[in-house]
Amino acid sequence: MGKKVLIVDDSNTMRKIVSRSLRQAGLDFDEILEAGDGQEGLAVLGANQVDLVLSDINMPNMGGLDFLRAKAQDDAIKGIPVVMISTETGSDIIGEAMSLGAKGAIKKPFTPEAINETIAPLL
Amino acid sequence: MSMAEQIITATEEIFSTMIMLEATPGEPGAPPKGPFRNSVTGMVGMAGQVRGLLAIHLTEEAAKSVTGSFLGMDVAEIDDDVRDAIGELANMLAGSIKMMLTDNGKDIKLSIPSAISGAEYTIDNLAEAESTSVPFTLPAGTFTVELQLEHPAG
Repeated sequence: MGKKVLIVDDSNTMRKIVSRSLRQAGLDFDEILEAGDGQEGLAVLGANQVDLVLSDINMPNMGGLDFLRAKAQDDAIKGIPVVMISTETGSDIIGEAMSLGAKGAIKKPFTPEAINETIAPLL
Repeated sequence: MSMAEQIITATEEIFSTMIMLEATPGEPGAPPKGPFRNSVTGMVGMAGQVRGLLAIHLTEEAAKSVTGSFLGMDVAEIDDDVRDAIGELANMLAGSIKMMLTDNGKDIKLSIPSAISGAEYTIDNLAEAESTSVPFTLPAGTFTVELQLEHPAG
């Protein structure tokens, strides 16, 4: 596939689980990059050619919604698709994420099938 | 749905979807008083329309088993990875239960999850809270999921 994905989550465990689920879903990325919060995520996007971002919402320092707001202000990275992966799947929060440019949402707990169903159309 | 049923539904969904271990629920009862010994506890606070606390208390053996299944690797000791995994487990439980408490979880905010472990520790309960806990049995040990709500809805 030759693509790069960035996983933004404050939980090291969850980043590992998402990485494993991508492989189990048959989504064979060339490189999986990681960031511990939105601020780190922006830095990674600024330094790498990333094709897709998977982001948590509820994180310290800079959460997923603020990450979307900041990314939308940067012409160099605002076109990169973001999918939210979160327990916060209440309609108000996901609605806000979608209005800020998110392309989809995956609820924790998730299966590799759910990951594939949401992400494959974006690649 | 009662608080105990909410705990059981959320726990079984997470264990069958992401952890791939069979967690058998026991009889619901009052939350464990502690002190907790050789255990790991993950916690998430709830604020807003419903205020409360979701906690999961695991024996060390159960915590290592759950983390190992979660990550697909052998886990030999209680370390940052185990505490992080148990915190994330508490986060998913709180997220699922939040959706059952109000309309799609509206007007409830979750805290960043935290986790502690140790040879002996206690955890203070919320004052004025309605509390329920459900014990579960795994092949490798036991754990208890505890829910405290100050203003339960529905």
